[in-house]
Amino acid sequence: MAEQKIFGYTDRLSVKQGDRLNIYVNCDGSDFADAQLVRLIHGDNNTEAGPGYIEREIPHPANGNWPVKKQFTQLGNYLTVEDPDQHLKLDGTLSMGAFIWPSMPKRGARQTIMGRWDTLTNEGFALGINPDGYLEFWVGDGKEVDYITSEMPLIKHVWYLVGVSFDAMTRTVTLYQEGVLNRYNSLIGTTTPYDFASHVRTRFRFSQHNRADVPFLIAGARDHHELRGNFVGDLYAGKIDRPFISERILTREEMDTVKAGHKPPADGLMAYWDTAAGYTDDGIGHDVVETGPYRLKTRGVNHPVRGMTGWNWNGKNDCFRLAPHEFGGIEFHPDAVTDCGWAVTKTIEIPSDLKAGPYAIRLRVGPGCGIAEEYVVFFVRQAKPTAKLCFLVPTASYLAYGNETLAFDAQIVQPMTGQPPIISDVEIETYEHREYGLSTYNHFEDGAGVCFSSWKRPIINMRPKFRNSWMGAPWQFPADLSVTAWIEHCGYDCDFITDDDLHREGLAALKPYNCVISGTHPEYVSERMLDAQEDYVAQGGRLIYTGGNGYYWCVNFDPEEAAVMEVRKLDSGMRAWAAKPGEHYLQTCGTKSGLWRNRGRAPQKLVGVGMISEGFETCTPFRRMPDSWHRTVSWITEGIEGELIGDEGLAYGGAAGIEIDRYDLALGTPPHTKIIASSGGHTDNYVLATEEILYAYAGMVGSLDYRIRADMIYYTSWNDGAVFSSGSIAFGQALPAKGFEGTTSKLLRNVVDAFLKDGPLPGRQWTLEEKQWR
Amino acid sequence: MTDTQPAKLRPITWHNPLEPWGQDQGNPELTSVASPDASDTWRANTKYKAKTYKVGRLKHYVIWRNNGQRLWDRWRWWPTRRNVLNIRGLYNRKTLKAEKKILDRRPIYWAICFALLVIGPAVFPASMYNTLLSAGTIFGIFAAINVCWTLILGTASIFTLASYAVVGVAAFVTTYLSIQWGLPWYVLPVGGAFIGLAVGIVIAIPALRLDGFYYALLTLGLNELCRVFFTTSKVFGSASGGLYGADSFIPDSWSPNAQSLLSYYSAFLLLVAVLFLFRFINGKQLGRVLRMAPEKREAFAEACGVDYRRARIIIFVVTSAALGFIGGFYATLYRGTAFSIFSFDTVLLGLAMVTIGGIGKAEGAILGTLVVTFLDKVLIDLGPTRLFLIGLIMLGVVLFTNNGYFGIKKQFNAWRDKKRGEWRSMRSEKGGEALPEEATERDNKDEVYFLRFDKMQRDYLKTLICPEIIEEHRQQPLGQHSATLERLLMYFRRAPMDDKYALQRNAETGRYKIIAFSGHRGVSPRVVEDREYDTIGDGYHAIFVRRVHDLMES
Repeated sequence: MAEQKIFGYTDRLSVKQGDRLNIYVNCDGSDFADAQLVRLIHGDNNTEAGPGYIEREIPHPANGNWPVKKQFTQLGNYLTVEDPDQHLKLDGTLSMGAFIWPSMPKRGARQTIMGRWDTLTNEGFALGINPDGYLEFWVGDGKEVDYITSEMPLIKHVWYLVGVSFDAMTRTVTLYQEGVLNRYNSLIGTTTPYDFASHVRTRFRFSQHNRADVPFLIAGARDHHELRGNFVGDLYAGKIDRPFISERILTREEMDTVKAGHKPPADGLMAYWDTAAGYTDDGIGHDVVETGPYRLKTRGVNHPVRGMTGWNWNGKNDCFRLAPHEFGGIEFHPDAVTDCGWAVTKTIEIPSDLKAGPYAIRLRVGPGCGIAEEYVVFFVRQAKPTAKLCFLVPTASYLAYGNETLAFDAQIVQPMTGQPPIISDVEIETYEHREYGLSTYNHFEDGAGVCFSSWKRPIINMRPKFRNSWMGAPWQFPADLSVTAWIEHCGYDCDFITDDDLHREGLAALKPYNCVISGTHPEYVSERMLDAQEDYVAQGGRLIYTGGNGYYWCVNFDPEEAAVMEVRKLDSGMRAWAAKPGEHYLQTCGTKSGLWRNRGRAPQKLVGVGMISEGFETCTPFRRMPDSWHRTVSWITEGIEGELIGDEGLAYGGAAGIEIDRYDLALGTPPHTKIIASSGGHTDNYVLATEEILYAYAGMVGSLDYRIRADMIYYTSWNDGAVFSSGSIAFGQALPAKGFEGTTSKLLRNVVDAFLKDGPLPGRQWTLEEKQWR
Repeated sequence: MTDTQPAKLRPITWHNPLEPWGQDQGNPELTSVASPDASDTWRANTKYKAKTYKVGRLKHYVIWRNNGQRLWDRWRWWPTRRNVLNIRGLYNRKTLKAEKKILDRRPIYWAICFALLVIGPAVFPASMYNTLLSAGTIFGIFAAINVCWTLILGTASIFTLASYAVVGVAAFVTTYLSIQWGLPWYVLPVGGAFIGLAVGIVIAIPALRLDGFYYALLTLGLNELCRVFFTTSKVFGSASGGLYGADSFIPDSWSPNAQSLLSYYSAFLLLVAVLFLFRFINGKQLGRVLRMAPEKREAFAEACGVDYRRARIIIFVVTSAALGFIGGFYATLYRGTAFSIFSFDTVLLGLAMVTIGGIGKAEGAILGTLVVTFLDKVLIDLGPTRLFLIGLIMLGVVLFTNNGYFGIKKQFNAWRDKKRGEWRSMRSEKGGEALPEEATERDNKDEVYFLRFDKMQRDYLKTLICPEIIEEHRQQPLGQHSATLERLLMYFRRAPMDDKYALQRNAETGRYKIIAFSGHRGVSPRVVEDREYDTIGDGYHAIFVRRVHDLMES
């Protein structure tokens, strides 16, 4: 029997009481899986310092045996062309052309740039790159393939105009390959003495035979598998700009006019994809505009990256909004996936009396542990909010880290975390098979950073019990379960909404609540999420930020596909990759990505603190700062003995650490903010965040730089609004320590109790200027 | 570890700079060692220990420049899709100039050789004219036979010694039929082909059952049987040393010179025809199938679904038919045939021809035939010495080459690679920086510097290893460390990903195992050792000790 393994995902992460939820499951080695609805109480199986892993089985009609099956995932980007009248089924003479910027010409596998090709039966025609990295055009009649190859290999990350003219009468075929490199658009410059040009001609023995059912594709070709059925293979890696196809022979002179920037001749033109058309100030969709006579509807699969610098980008404009015609590049990656597209395994109804919170369908096959056990996680939200408290689930950040493989691929991880990683079986399994997509901390096979992440795929690190491999503690979702476990332990009535709820509904989603708690690491926020939280606080809401390195990256959810989040990493910040020049703007909304700090909205402006350092290998306690004795805020530390706070925790035994934030007036911390407590004594593995560095110098480390500390702050806003921030990721993981009764827990309970009460906040009257005797 | 510990490590007491913060997890003070002076390492690494030589190869022949703007019209071998020459454009790694390289120059050599054979009679010296012309005819026929034979020996891996017997049987029978029934000359080769086919089928049957040596013995016996049968048979002219009188395409009315020329060119055409046969069997599906099933790897090929037996037998039978055709042709060319075709020395000479050039290659069979025919038929004045010469050449080929003359290049390259490996292992240090000749093989020159930097780092870090450092790490794998240990750890953590250690947590037992990353995308880590560690701290320390060990070994 094959190794038993099971993976799944849902169509939504947030579901309201009484709503229905689709669940998609892929299973190897079993036809049935044992399903059980569970409420996730605590996610960290560390039993030495905390309560260990806790789940509660919930009776539900869907519990029991589910029939499951093997499901396949289409990896890779390509464009589909709807051509019901088969205009592109050119059986005779044809010409094609496109500007290309190949990123892996020597991939060792065939890549299709464009064509109507059936890999199974060898029928049709296509222009592509052969496994050795040479431009090739081939035709097939179902029996044999005939091809023509250019004389010089394609150089990676260089713009070319490539094309072919095929005269079916004489069967003469001519390849066109010219470099269109300028001072800006390619990896190498104009002084590198490559002669990119190649013009080759030969005579084929036969013309193409086209099958009626084969689609015309850009960046891929139809293939077939006995079990899987039709799929798309021979995927292309790199950019394509303004491809076209004509039903007549295009002469070299006519190709040269395309190279000069003109449109291909209208006479005989069957399709011309103006990849730079249809851009708006608010972004670019997934439809590629085809401006030929038939206006063929063309759409990207798995989120090809749009608005990338095109062949004619000349460096003056850095955004597709300023000069759309210079940003016609569409970037394709053979290993991208934003929707596994599986068949629905089960639709379940969420009972209308199910308490809001984190839940999962627990699926088990065979041994029922390791890769034979899966938790398909989702969050239940109150149909009509009755709770005063709300936990804002940072799903955008879960997506950002979804299926990261830093421990396997990134040389910098061990120096950064100061320890060798600890790998689990499920990571090895998904690392090998790579069918569930990558995180925004990964690079594609071709070296480009991953800028889209989606929940329509199994996300193995958004699971309870999962321990982050590059350090010895949970991260993101399983770490956040420490905060929700604390809420459960304290008995608060709490609703749960997710980042995508907030992005969609804005302020209205937060309005019903007196107090909102965000997670341990809400690092990725969209403009609408940030606006809503700002307005919430300004209108009297109370925000508790129990994390570190939050409100950091500018992201956006795709308006056409809510499951997909986009980010571009650039300029500064602790970042896994850097977007190329000219590619710094989000295609889904048109605004600049990168750090919020670099867009004038440093996290300090909302939560009073912002990222200063990360170290990952030790944590320390906070010590009360003198301002915490001030009566405006002394209620926060009420009942805590001694000055140390958080001398306990599931993450390295302290509440301050992993990633930490600092108060900084120069970045917009509200001037009346009080620092309740600060940490110190961080090791030299805690280094200054890169966005803080203007000049690099020796000694920007924990034991030498006073800025490297976590600040726990509090400030009040309009209408009795207030913000409390812990300034440390480990804070949340300190809550369950000592049976949920440690100093961290006590302090947070003081804050939440005060924040939940309607009306004025405690300590608000102690505001006169002091006349001090001592 | 203590063996390698330098004497100059000075013990010091290290105070944790974080101690004032009062963390109980800290290591407030401990015995460490002062970092030694690194300048010794620098001084030891200011020059290569091995002598350095200039590298670079002079461009001593013409390389075609590519002119990208010019239309390159590619001609093909009709009716195939093969281009006339397999040419590929490449960028010169030294200059980035676009250059064209002929990947396979054999078509040019073949064309030159064919041209020489065609114009040969026009340039033969007058004194040797007749000798060379008749030797050329014999060469053409024998080369054709040997090409067929090498197809059986090389492509089909069937060790037959009966090829000449098939030719001989076909020749005798067709001659006999021509004499008896007055068959015209143009029927003889075709008839020969049928006889060859029949004989081939008969001989093929034991090839299914017998392996190599035994099959060779059997076919040799068969050859001998034919010789005895034909020489003693009155029907086949036992008294006259052969059977003559077959119809010939060479008109008697022509001058002897013209007759010789016709013989010469017809033998040449026969050779060309056989070469086509070779190309279509060896270069097409049958040949490809059999290249998947070389000798001693048949079982593997069979497991992959390759029906190698069928392919071998088909080649054997088809080639036997071709040999029969050659036999018929021989009969019509010489109006008959002599018993010497069956003699043991013919088989041995043929074997020499096939071996000298390299078994399994058409060019090998032709070169071998050329050499042997030249010695045997042209240098006839040397007398029996020439047979010794042939023997010596064959001996030399068998002793010194792996696969005849045309295997020499590959053999030489392999030998050079071996020598290069030996020289390098003598000259360069293991894990040391790249020598000038090694640097030529790396496209990314940054890697060359990394090797230098890494070597110096390791040389210095080796001097830091001592029991105190290891003990310090054991006590506290994570957190603030002494300056000396921290330096060591930073080096370990920054190492490239290939074979970099990590821990794997067993989901069931909660224990830890050491694994090593592949450094290749999508390739799983390997398990380094079976031992499992109870705590994560033990795991961290076990990795540290391994890394120290690897450092000292390098």
